[in-house]
Amino acid sequence: MAADSDPETEVFEITDFTTASEWERFVSRVEEVLNDWKLIGSSAGRPSPEKGEYTSGTWEEKSQEINFADFKFSITHHYLKQESDKSDLKEELEEDAFPLAMQDLLCMNNDFPPRAHCLVRWYGMREFLVISPGANCEAITSESKCNLLLSSVSISLANSGCQVPMFVQIQQKWRRLYAGECQGPGVRTDFEMVHLRKVPSQYNHLSGLLDIFKAKIGCPLTPLPPVTIAIRFTYVLQDWQQYSWPQQPPDFDALLGGEVGGVEFGKLPFGACEDPISELHLATTWPHLTEGIVVDNDVYSDLDPLQAPHWSVRVRKAENPQCLLGDFLNEFFKLCCRKESTEEILGRGLTEEEGKENTDLSAALSKLTEPAAAPMSKLSVSSMVHSARKHIRRHRRVDESPLSNDVLNSILLYLFPDAAVERSSTGTSDASDGRPAPPPSTGGRSEPDKDSDYNLFNQLKSAPSDSLTYRLALCVCLVNFYHGGVRALAHLWQEFVLEMRFRWENNHLVYGLASGAPDLRCCLLHQKLQMLNCCIERKRARDESRKASDGGKERERQLPGGGENVRRSRRVEGAAGAVAATGAGADAAREASPGKSWDSWSDSEDEFFECLSDQEEAAAAKEGEAEKGEAEKGGAGRAKPPDGRLHPHGTMTLLNPSTEPLYIPVTQEPAPMTEDLLEEHSEVLAKLGTTAEGAHLRARMQSACLLSDMESFKAANPGCSLEDFVRWYSPRDYVEEEGVDEAGAPVLRGELSARMKIPGNMWAEAWDTARSVPARRQKRLFDDTKEAEKVLHYLSVQKPADLTRHLLPCILHAAVLKLKEEESLEDIPSVKKAVQQATSHASKQLRHPNPDHKKLEEVISQLVAVETVIARARSLKAKFGVGKAEAGEDSEDLEKFVISLLEEPEVAVLGAGRGPAGSIIHKLFVSSQRAALLAPMDDDLVRPGGGADDRKPMGGGLNVPDFPPPAGREILLRTCVPRPAPYSKALPQRLFCVLLREDFRLAGALSSDTSFF
Amino acid sequence: MEEGILTTLKILIIGESGVGKSSLLLRFTDDTFDPDQTATIGVDFKVKTISVEGNKAKLAIWDTAGQERFRTLTPSYYRGAQGVILVYDVTQRDTFTKLDNWLNELETYCTRNDLVKMLVGNKIDKENHELDRNEGLKFARKHSMLFIEASAKTRDGVQCAFEELVEKIIQSPGLWQSEGHGRVHLTDEDAGGGSCGGYCSLV
Repeated sequence: MAADSDPETEVFEITDFTTASEWERFVSRVEEVLNDWKLIGSSAGRPSPEKGEYTSGTWEEKSQEINFADFKFSITHHYLKQESDKSDLKEELEEDAFPLAMQDLLCMNNDFPPRAHCLVRWYGMREFLVISPGANCEAITSESKCNLLLSSVSISLANSGCQVPMFVQIQQKWRRLYAGECQGPGVRTDFEMVHLRKVPSQYNHLSGLLDIFKAKIGCPLTPLPPVTIAIRFTYVLQDWQQYSWPQQPPDFDALLGGEVGGVEFGKLPFGACEDPISELHLATTWPHLTEGIVVDNDVYSDLDPLQAPHWSVRVRKAENPQCLLGDFLNEFFKLCCRKESTEEILGRGLTEEEGKENTDLSAALSKLTEPAAAPMSKLSVSSMVHSARKHIRRHRRVDESPLSNDVLNSILLYLFPDAAVERSSTGTSDASDGRPAPPPSTGGRSEPDKDSDYNLFNQLKSAPSDSLTYRLALCVCLVNFYHGGVRALAHLWQEFVLEMRFRWENNHLVYGLASGAPDLRCCLLHQKLQMLNCCIERKRARDESRKASDGGKERERQLPGGGENVRRSRRVEGAAGAVAATGAGADAAREASPGKSWDSWSDSEDEFFECLSDQEEAAAAKEGEAEKGEAEKGGAGRAKPPDGRLHPHGTMTLLNPSTEPLYIPVTQEPAPMTEDLLEEHSEVLAKLGTTAEGAHLRARMQSACLLSDMESFKAANPGCSLEDFVRWYSPRDYVEEEGVDEAGAPVLRGELSARMKIPGNMWAEAWDTARSVPARRQKRLFDDTKEAEKVLHYLSVQKPADLTRHLLPCILHAAVLKLKEEESLEDIPSVKKAVQQATSHASKQLRHPNPDHKKLEEVISQLVAVETVIARARSLKAKFGVGKAEAGEDSEDLEKFVISLLEEPEVAVLGAGRGPAGSIIHKLFVSSQRAALLAPMDDDLVRPGGGADDRKPMGGGLNVPDFPPPAGREILLRTCVPRPAPYSKALPQRLFCVLLREDFRLAGALSSDTSFF
Repeated sequence: MEEGILTTLKILIIGESGVGKSSLLLRFTDDTFDPDQTATIGVDFKVKTISVEGNKAKLAIWDTAGQERFRTLTPSYYRGAQGVILVYDVTQRDTFTKLDNWLNELETYCTRNDLVKMLVGNKIDKENHELDRNEGLKFARKHSMLFIEASAKTRDGVQCAFEELVEKIIQSPGLWQSEGHGRVHLTDEDAGGGSCGGYCSLV
């Protein structure tokens, strides 16, 4: 070391550790740890713990691995975190104060803590160390090993001067046997333990235990200083006699039997199917007795639980009780992992045909949308085939399909209530079940909540709670659970997709979706449905405007709505199970179909025209941007009469013929987009790169809208110039300056901004290319036919698992709302918080593009946990009769009591056996006892347990005792006597006894004065 | 090249037409200024990798057209943006007064409510200022945004604006990673110390 560098320094002493034994090394390692953790020195001086601090405070632990040769141990430091450490240190310490642990042995503030390490319970310490065998190491079972460890402990404590008690765990872990030691200045406490499987009869009562305690102390004094006693008996109630669990699993056959309202599909079930509270543990405590005050021996006992001064209760909750909402969520979530396609699930027979139908249908539709118009006759044939097929299928389904006709129809009625409303107003069929579906209910929540609840869809990226998507999610969940699982789900989905297609074909808007472009805050499926609606709306508008412009020649033709009515009534007839009516329906549909095909035909004519114009444009491009050609076009434009004017742009006039007002044209609306389209689109744009060419190409790709607007503008303002256009479109690019004309009068001179004047810039280029065409004659920027087909295709290829994933946000949304609704009835603060947390957790997951399966599972289990807590609260409230309108004050206290039972590990009963809660608990025990013991009535009343409590009946006047024998008895004996000699210091002594049916434990802490021994 | 990139951030530039959005972007990405910058059609897109406090971040910056009519199109690109730069022209008051509309737009179309906003007053190299710094500051404070004045022409403040924004985004981890933090446990039976918490002796 340093000494080596200086040869002059003499070496006085050599300490040789080379021959140190494993044992010595172990001891020094323990000391090292104690040093590292700063556990050296006097521990006294901290205030004694407050009453109940062991429960309310925070316990911390740190641990470290430590080896004895190659045997692994872990040493752990457990301690109660106390904040008031410093402020009280100023009190001068006595030189020889007892170690903290010894003081704690006698402290009575934290006897029987409801939740603590067993050593804390037995010895009342706030700080200790435990050495226990490492995770995969065998237990210390031999006595010599045990002694070796204990001596190590003893030596390292002595060497380091550490006053924290240190324990060694011996025998098998489950036996929780510890031996240990605590050292202080001139004092030592030994911790010893006895553990047996059976209670020896001579120690089965207080007097026997007192004898053992005194014998252990071996006190030389006579008379012995008094021993203080604390006793706790615990009684277990398992059998809730008159409070059988109220909630039955709902009867879902009844739900659909007879009256089919469909309303029930909007509700998620809730509650536990079994009692979520399995046991009630009543602890009766005598916290402070002195020897001689009570008698408890093998023939007689004063310890009547009813007389105990202190009662406390804890409940044992059923582990994962079956809860309806939880089951629903979990079953639904499981579907996310299914791999099968709809075809595989529904089976070959059904699908083959179904698949063929689909291709037939889409072939027909693509023909519809092809530029070259299909002949009209062919179209109407295909639609006739279509309706006929539907007709046939409807018959067949009755016996084959996974969902029964009734269920299916009531679901469809729930999903599409517009059908029912329409039907009852048109009155096309008898009113057997003609009740219109009620507006979607928002549940029984209070007003201020509603806003935030409504916006929940934004947080969870689901869909508004009154939307079709949301309702679909509820139905899918229900169908999955009660009406045939994944097969039924696949069936429902197919049916849903068919309905969507029907609505598209018949210009009938999808009910229950906010109008306008897809709401990007919602889930993709919702956006897709909104997209479909956009398509339908556009198509409708187109058809209508054409009809308007075509004038009276189509007057006699039915409006598109006519077809819808027929369709709706068909659906409702189906719901009523009136198969016979379908014939008429089919006729009506056939009649309606030509209307549709006419519209579509006109539509394709439009496209045809546009195709030509495309070619023309392409040709023009080939020729190059010949100025002449443009001039010609311009000339042609000027000759045309104005077309497609929306309204004048303020008082603005054109620049050139400055008398002519400047008109804002009717323009094409930009294409609505769903988030996946948008993603695709921006990916394409981003892929073009960041080079100048890329940017140019990007601008060109996006100039369709600009070009279309320019063309409309030209059509509306014959003779206009780019300056005119810019003044409307990008006013800041038209710079006006005040000047004076030749006569000296002030005039405004305007010109295009510098950037618009750059030769060949895209705006100027587009302006030159733009012809004068009103919006309605332009090529559609948004091809609704194509987009609708895309959406319908997308829907039809969704596997059940995909569908589940799409709808999961909605289901979670519904579950959150349900929990909130149920919680508002119970008003449990912790639940409110937990719901919020689950929501924000879910929000984080669901807004992620690819939610993590595991994390979603966590979200679901959080929600289930909330349901369980509410169910528990209900169970407890029922048991304690809360809410049965009794005396106001009592019931309020009772309610508080019940809530704290849920949230705290153990709750004190006010007034013990005589308080309002106490008397209810008493009654509960009494009735359970009667049921258990009076049934085999004539048997002599010998209780088989044979415990101390057979000695006398307790409480009640009947032969049956009010309480069963205690399941556990804990007796804590304490005193302070000099040991080992009469002239030694008086030191704390303690014995904690646990007596269970099959477990007997004595944990003794005996201190002695080591000064002269 | 891609090594060590912490994250990719999507940043938007919005504001009235002609306030210099594309010029700011060009200055930032290519450190050039083109007096002949044409009016953007739809959206444009540039990428730049920068390193802030040792963290490399790849910025995908979407530049948008300011014209009213394009405004029906461009909000679709707001989706998923982590940061947004609102630009106004200090020599044109109306570009400033219209900022409210742009904020509304953001509110409506932005998918996340925790995105970082920066206000940039551009063209401070010009002489005829109609707005002084304080007005910008006040507006930014009112809407809890970052604020800086800049000139794409003289490069004043441009680099700083982007870096500041990115730093802020990186500081709010919720924006670029989804991490679940502590939560309440309703069913922690054994929250007490160690292996034998609770009343385990009475099983």
